[in-house]
Amino acid sequence: MKTILTICSLLCCLVFQAQTKISGKLVDQKGKPQEGVNVFIEGTYDGAPSAADGTFSFETDAKGSQVLVISSLLFETIREAIVIETYKSRSFTVKSSANALNDVVISVGSFQAGATTKASVLKPLDIVTTAGSPGNIIGALQTLPGAQIVGESGRLFVRGGESDETQTYIDGIRVAQPYGASANNLPTRGRFSPFLFSGMSFTTGGYSAEFGDALSSVLLLNTIDEPDQEKTDISLMTVGLGVGNTQKWGKGSFSFNTSYINLEPYQKAIQQNVDWIKPYQSMSGEMVFRRQFKNGLFKFYTAYDYANFELNQKDINYEDPIRVAIQNNNLYLNASYKGNFGANWTIQTGIGYGYSLTKTDLDSNAVKDQENAAHLKLKLGKKFSNKVRMIFGGDYFTTDFDGSYRQPSNEFKTGYTSGIGALYAETDIVLTSDFAVKAGLRGMHSDLLGTSVLEPRASLAYRTNKNGQLSLAYGDFNQLPKQDYLKYTSAFEPEKTAHYILNYTYNPNGRTLRAELYYKDYSNLVKYNTDLPQYNSIYTNNGSGYAKGFDLFWRDNKTVKNLEYWLSYSYIDSKRDYKNYPDKVTPNFVANHTLSIVGKYWINDLRSQLSVTNSFATGRPYNNPNEMTFMNGKTTSYNSLSLSWAYLMSPQKILYLSVSNVMGKDNVFGYQYANSPDVGGQFQRQAIGQAADRFFFIGFFWTISQDKKSNQLENL
Amino acid sequence: MTRIITALALFICHMAFSQTQYEQGMKKALGLWGEGKPTEAAALFERIALVEKDNWLPNYYVALINTTEAFVPANRDKVSALLEKAQQAENDANMISPNNPELMVMQALIYTAWIVYDPQSNGMKYSGKTMEQYYKALALAPNNPRVVFSKAEFEIGGAKFFGKDTKPMCAQVAKSIELFATFKPESPFHPNWGLDRAQEVLQNCNTK
Repeated sequence: MKTILTICSLLCCLVFQAQTKISGKLVDQKGKPQEGVNVFIEGTYDGAPSAADGTFSFETDAKGSQVLVISSLLFETIREAIVIETYKSRSFTVKSSANALNDVVISVGSFQAGATTKASVLKPLDIVTTAGSPGNIIGALQTLPGAQIVGESGRLFVRGGESDETQTYIDGIRVAQPYGASANNLPTRGRFSPFLFSGMSFTTGGYSAEFGDALSSVLLLNTIDEPDQEKTDISLMTVGLGVGNTQKWGKGSFSFNTSYINLEPYQKAIQQNVDWIKPYQSMSGEMVFRRQFKNGLFKFYTAYDYANFELNQKDINYEDPIRVAIQNNNLYLNASYKGNFGANWTIQTGIGYGYSLTKTDLDSNAVKDQENAAHLKLKLGKKFSNKVRMIFGGDYFTTDFDGSYRQPSNEFKTGYTSGIGALYAETDIVLTSDFAVKAGLRGMHSDLLGTSVLEPRASLAYRTNKNGQLSLAYGDFNQLPKQDYLKYTSAFEPEKTAHYILNYTYNPNGRTLRAELYYKDYSNLVKYNTDLPQYNSIYTNNGSGYAKGFDLFWRDNKTVKNLEYWLSYSYIDSKRDYKNYPDKVTPNFVANHTLSIVGKYWINDLRSQLSVTNSFATGRPYNNPNEMTFMNGKTTSYNSLSLSWAYLMSPQKILYLSVSNVMGKDNVFGYQYANSPDVGGQFQRQAIGQAADRFFFIGFFWTISQDKKSNQLENL
Repeated sequence: MTRIITALALFICHMAFSQTQYEQGMKKALGLWGEGKPTEAAALFERIALVEKDNWLPNYYVALINTTEAFVPANRDKVSALLEKAQQAENDANMISPNNPELMVMQALIYTAWIVYDPQSNGMKYSGKTMEQYYKALALAPNNPRVVFSKAEFEIGGAKFFGKDTKPMCAQVAKSIELFATFKPESPFHPNWGLDRAQEVLQNCNTK
């Protein structure tokens, strides 16, 4: 036995003595030494991380032909065949891999709210906690540069574009009717509850070839892939109540959210500027079903919304107010699948369907609009290497619209069916870790107009230093004329814009600076020759316009502890000759300067978040028929200061208070002038203002989840 | 005869050597960590993980070291990278050993590190996920001292913030100390940490 041990230890010694030293140095492409990279012989434990000066050195008892592996998250793995006995100390150059965190990312024109992406400027929670926009996704986005404040509409107006120039997508599928019903000159809200979405991306121009039929902007909302836990949410608000629940099992989960809103008690208590007969009430629900597969995720999203209200609306042309009653039914379904297959292929496919029925009573006249819209989508992606990726796919959009206008004596019907087919391809090439290019092409054909268009899109990004990046984007965008015109005739070309954007982003830890210069060239805009678009108007595509400006965004979460704030400023110069305009003028929804300041301060001792939002915009143009020059009037400037307070009563109970327009400023958005002059030859006018001077909101949000239950059990 | 003995010796030697290769490696890696060389230790665990493809422990330690480093205030600028590394190792370990309570505690620790890094944006996002891991782990291993202790420690943080009584959690910490006393790790390399930390936390419970 002794002999065996002796031999054994001898042999072991021999083995140890036979160790060979492997050493070398790691540098990056610029010759900078790289620290902390794991270097080892494949299949053995032998190796070492590189030191601060890039050198590495270790001993191995491996023999003969081996593979030396150099591996780190930040670099492409190097596998070098070596022969241990003849290996000589040498230097290796590591290349940063394209999926590295600090790589150049193309993000021109887009604002993202999400947890992970570098381009994120908003966190999902910001949507809920921004003062002045209680739970309204659109309201929070209006504090970003590039968006105009159009108080009487509540919709997104982006960079000199009208609200319908923005398309909304949920999980990559278009939402044909993203806004709730509203009466003329009363603001609407986005339909969707922010709680079901984990991320969103709001692009103000120059977006990917994946998206089309939008002149100005796309808003991408993504539902949560996997909910955290099973829970029940209860909300009690001054304007209504809501219940939500999430269930999880094996590979699936299901969430729903439902709410009943009735503004009657609130409007009884607080003085309104509008004469409501029956205040707004709505019943709405959303649900998401998710199923995880081995290589993908299937989601089914449904939203239903029923709303009605009735009011007396003053009109300068009539002595008595007009009774307006609106009923709206809306259903949206969306099924999507995303996953990967084969060698680095990804697939995203889905179908969306939207149904909307709006009945409007105007005194004794009745308007009925009914729309069925669907979107079919298939997108494939292929990653050829860390440096080259490509996506391609197709869309089919169909819209079927039926409208009727019934007077006591007769009825007019309108309607159209529109189909749009589109194909696109786009490639991302990372040329160096500091320089990337994206180029795409989208082709679109409209059945209704009988026309086809090609839209080239391109962007470049160059990283100037560790935290700074310069990007350039160009793109052509086409969109079918809006429903108001299409329902009378289809003798149109698509309306068109070209975007040119120069972006600089500076992104040190905890702070973000974005500056963007842009120019938008509009052509083929629809013109008509009557006061309002009618069946007998003469329509042309001879309109044109431009928008140019400068957007600035600054967000700082770092300088002051517990304080997050952002500041956005937009300057815009935009003129259009469209609709029935006699000249190229600045349209009434454009304010030259817009400034928003949003601050959120967390007070740890009070477990409270205080939030302040101040929105300011210079005056907007309006047309005064008493003057010779068209659209020559200008309203006074707009300002609204909003405050909110969120108090965390316990981990699961939140009390939320907010007041919009605290100062009660009487903002005027424009004026309605009489159609004909009075006896003195003057056109009389009435102001288009706010529905109420202030808006108060008190809500109590209670989450009942698994851990709470268990906690109580444990305390017994 | 001599030849047989030599062959036998070689064979035994080889056996002994290859058996101890893993043990030596693990010992060395743990030693490096103990000497305050976390980078070297994590790198060695990573190399061991690449060889021992059916063993979740090396990846567990890669996750544990990187997460522990993420809690060190001086590493604040590296937190994202460290936690991403930890998450990757955690995922690899989970593939080898699903439904492992020790790995659930590990996952909860990674989430906790994210919360500590940026409480305002990660607090709400990860608190629920963290508790979910602890409940899953507790259901599988109600007497694992690390499960009991880590869950109680996390809950103490929350209770303090909301001005709630920490007594029930402190009782759990005391219970975990009893469990630590009888806990037998499956091998010298299986997770066996936490007792000193639990005693420290209990002391804070009592001094308050």
